[in-house]
Amino acid sequence: MSVIADAAAASATPSLLVEHRPWWRSRVTLTAAIVGVMLVCYFALKAEYPWPASLTWNSLPTYLNDFQTWLVDQRNAESPSFVIRAFNGFAEFLDSLVEWFTSFLGWMTWVGVSVAGVLVSLRFGGVRASIWALAAFVMFAASGLWAESMQTLALMLAAVGLSLLVGIPLGVYAGLSTRFERAVTPVLDAMQIIPAFAYLMPVVILFSVGPGAAVITTMIYAIPPAIRITALGIRGVPANTVEAALAMGSTPAQTLAKVRLPLARRMLLLSVNQTILFALSMVVIAGLIGGKGLGDVVTSGLNSYPALALLAGLVIVVMAMALDRVTESVAERTNPARRHLTDERRRRLRLASVATGIAVIAVVAVSRLLGVGADYSRTTARDWLLARIQSVLDYVQNPDTALFRVTSWIGDHIVQYGLVPFRNFLVETPWPVTLLGITLISLAVSGRRSAITTFVMLAVIGVIGEWASAMDTASQVLVATVLTVVIGLGLGVWAAESRTFSRILRPINDVLQTLPQLVYLIPLIYLMPVSVVPGVIAGVLYAFPVVARLVENGVRNVEANTVEAAESFGATRSQVLRKVKVPLAQDAIMLGVNQGIIMVLAVVVIGGLVGSPGLGYEVAQGLARSDFGLGVLASVAILALGIALDRVTRGARRAQLEEGP
Amino acid sequence: MSKSGTRPVRLALLALALVVVGALGVSASAFGRSNAKSCGTVTLDENAWAGATANVYVVKYVLEKNLGCEVNIEKLPESTPLFQAMADGKVDVLLEDWNNIQLKVNQKYVKSGQLIDLGSNGVIGHIGWFVPTYLMKQYPQLKTWQGLKGKESIFKSPESGSQGMFLGGDPSYVQKDAQLIKQLGLNLKFVSVGAEPAQVARWSQAYKQKKPILFYWYTPQYLNTAYQLSEIKLPARSKKCVDSYNPKLGSNWSIYRCAYGQTIIEKVITSKFAKSGSPAVGVIKRWKWSANDQNTVANLIAGKHMDPEKAAEQWVKANPGKVKAWLGK
Repeated sequence: MSVIADAAAASATPSLLVEHRPWWRSRVTLTAAIVGVMLVCYFALKAEYPWPASLTWNSLPTYLNDFQTWLVDQRNAESPSFVIRAFNGFAEFLDSLVEWFTSFLGWMTWVGVSVAGVLVSLRFGGVRASIWALAAFVMFAASGLWAESMQTLALMLAAVGLSLLVGIPLGVYAGLSTRFERAVTPVLDAMQIIPAFAYLMPVVILFSVGPGAAVITTMIYAIPPAIRITALGIRGVPANTVEAALAMGSTPAQTLAKVRLPLARRMLLLSVNQTILFALSMVVIAGLIGGKGLGDVVTSGLNSYPALALLAGLVIVVMAMALDRVTESVAERTNPARRHLTDERRRRLRLASVATGIAVIAVVAVSRLLGVGADYSRTTARDWLLARIQSVLDYVQNPDTALFRVTSWIGDHIVQYGLVPFRNFLVETPWPVTLLGITLISLAVSGRRSAITTFVMLAVIGVIGEWASAMDTASQVLVATVLTVVIGLGLGVWAAESRTFSRILRPINDVLQTLPQLVYLIPLIYLMPVSVVPGVIAGVLYAFPVVARLVENGVRNVEANTVEAAESFGATRSQVLRKVKVPLAQDAIMLGVNQGIIMVLAVVVIGGLVGSPGLGYEVAQGLARSDFGLGVLASVAILALGIALDRVTRGARRAQLEEGP
Repeated sequence: MSKSGTRPVRLALLALALVVVGALGVSASAFGRSNAKSCGTVTLDENAWAGATANVYVVKYVLEKNLGCEVNIEKLPESTPLFQAMADGKVDVLLEDWNNIQLKVNQKYVKSGQLIDLGSNGVIGHIGWFVPTYLMKQYPQLKTWQGLKGKESIFKSPESGSQGMFLGGDPSYVQKDAQLIKQLGLNLKFVSVGAEPAQVARWSQAYKQKKPILFYWYTPQYLNTAYQLSEIKLPARSKKCVDSYNPKLGSNWSIYRCAYGQTIIEKVITSKFAKSGSPAVGVIKRWKWSANDQNTVANLIAGKHMDPEKAAEQWVKANPGKVKAWLGK
């Protein structure tokens, strides 16, 4: 998850040219003034001007529901049209692909799969990587979830493989053509902001349920990082190298194949890494529509056996961390800056590859002859693990503990002094005031273009009849973002000043990013039994590590000579931090806020599943009640809200960089 | 070298011999039950709640042990996604449908002849407003909604401000509580905490602390054996009474001003399965059990974390008469 953050941070490295505006025109003052005016209107005209029905497109849900009916009719017609048949065929192809992968892993036997995984990691990733791989296989076996783990692995192989097949060529093209990249960026944004729940229904209608549908849902989310990071890698190739190649008479195709792609190799491998992690975060959602494996255990365990759901969640985390570390170390190893291959070394590496291949084949052959099973089925630590998890859950469920008193106190206060007032303010302020106010804040913070986009997005939300729900969701996002930024800023600055702390933060970051939110939402509900809070806290937990990382990078990248200059004037460490590093890292911090908001939005929507009212709840309801119109409109509103919040917090400098002058 | 080369060959021959013997054995045993057509594969859908798991595993046990069927289980989201999957032939049988098949979008599948509604599975569902029994004893007036009036503030919570809180059900379930509250003029705030595990977490915690809580709940439910709950009587039902809020029915909310009805929970199968001639079809058609039976098995699975296969086995062995009736003997 860290690469996107790093890349984004790189584009926001601090410059010494901090703009000097008079204090009354600074972003903060202007924003405060606008909010002040909005507050006055709120207290004067509370709840008197909700979004008017005359400005709402009322027949839209009916059209959408008619569309669904039409689609279902097409699907179930006597002789379906070519398009429907093509969709069907594609889904069936994916179904059999996943099945083939699953049975192939089974055919290799559990010993064969483990040995292959560990040896391949050893050859291409090094010792540390192979230890991670070994740990993952031990976890699969110890949890007694071997078969489910293999099903998930097969699903991932299919989804990641196809995502890369689509994503890397498009990414290369986006890296070469600025126009294409600009055209494709909003589509990629949409693919990542729209919650997967929103497209489950159309996917199911078009592709039915099963592993195929699960692969498609996963691909929608996993393709964007593949395209983005590949493009970043291609753009990162030094221009003079490319020019040199062109000057020596290479054709553009030759330059691409011989110069650009090899030099971008590390980034290409990192895009594989990110695609895997994004795909793994969809495992649980895939479980909802017939993707078998660990996700299925999580979703069905939530009702009847939460401890088992948590255990499966932990297995997903270990799988994700192992895949992350292995692919990352493979990427690092191919870094041309670090590779000095002599002929001798090259020969030895080739020998090692051959040896690895032979060893894997030999182990598979021997274990097949010895009749080793497809799945590990000997003694497991499953009961022991489940008992431990259950005792944690029992502790959390007990309302007489000190922990509960603290967490429920926090929860109650977040509701009473955060969520309720924020919600009332956003929902009950007359709509023209809210609309104009947010647009003006966008103008003050991010400039004219961003303000126009913000205005249009907010208007769309109103017209499709989602104003009140969207404002409700926005209030949750704002509260969660405030908490995220406070925590992220503190930890980020600390991590920038202390390497040890930075090292502690990384595994926490990984666990929070890959543990399916549904898994920790349940304990959170026990600890903070107020409806909206678990969703908000889940958002904070998901987003603060990234904010911390962006801040850490920003503060650390402040140029050494600036810091030295300050120190030579006798500034203390805390003065340097407050007066030099943090102000100079302003853009990176702004980026942290921006990314934090988008990530919080994604999770607050999942909070809808556990009852946070607003857009997420409507999406969940649309899916549960087969109300296509409701689900689609709420999803469109989520997307519009995401874009609006992004533009408001983008900051003038990044807006200029990305949209041109 | 040559010796080790013959070993796999011998192994392969041995394996082949075993396969042949096995196949003969299987066909011989099939002959033994020559009066029945072979059962083949049956795919059952398992809904997300414990009662549905109980249905599925008991039926699976009977089909496998008594008819030699191969039973698969799919877990798909209710309503349209599931019915579409059934129409596509990915699932044969749904054992517990809480009236989703009656929705207009889903009636298409029945009208086109893809799905068959087999009617009641024996369990009658009922939705209502519940409070813990200890609270009912403390405030006997809560027996009816009229008694609740004026007492709403005992249900205050952080989310509800000065009003009392009504804890709503899983958003996917049939409900009309926000409309009922308005129609009855109660000073309650409708608060939903979302999916069922979250709702259970919320009210069971209040129960453990002996705090007041008023919530949407239903029977049959295995948790009803672990928690003592009492229902608040809502206005009697009339003819035009509607149980599920639907904005298309207009803004006249008086149609919701009544208690929830009794839900007849239904079985749905595909017509392809019905025509397959498998003996499993007859068993599914005859299969029926009571809410009590279902709760017993569901409690073993979800309450005591027993392996569902074992829980089913235990119930089947204890109830040979009922199983015999399903088998049509």
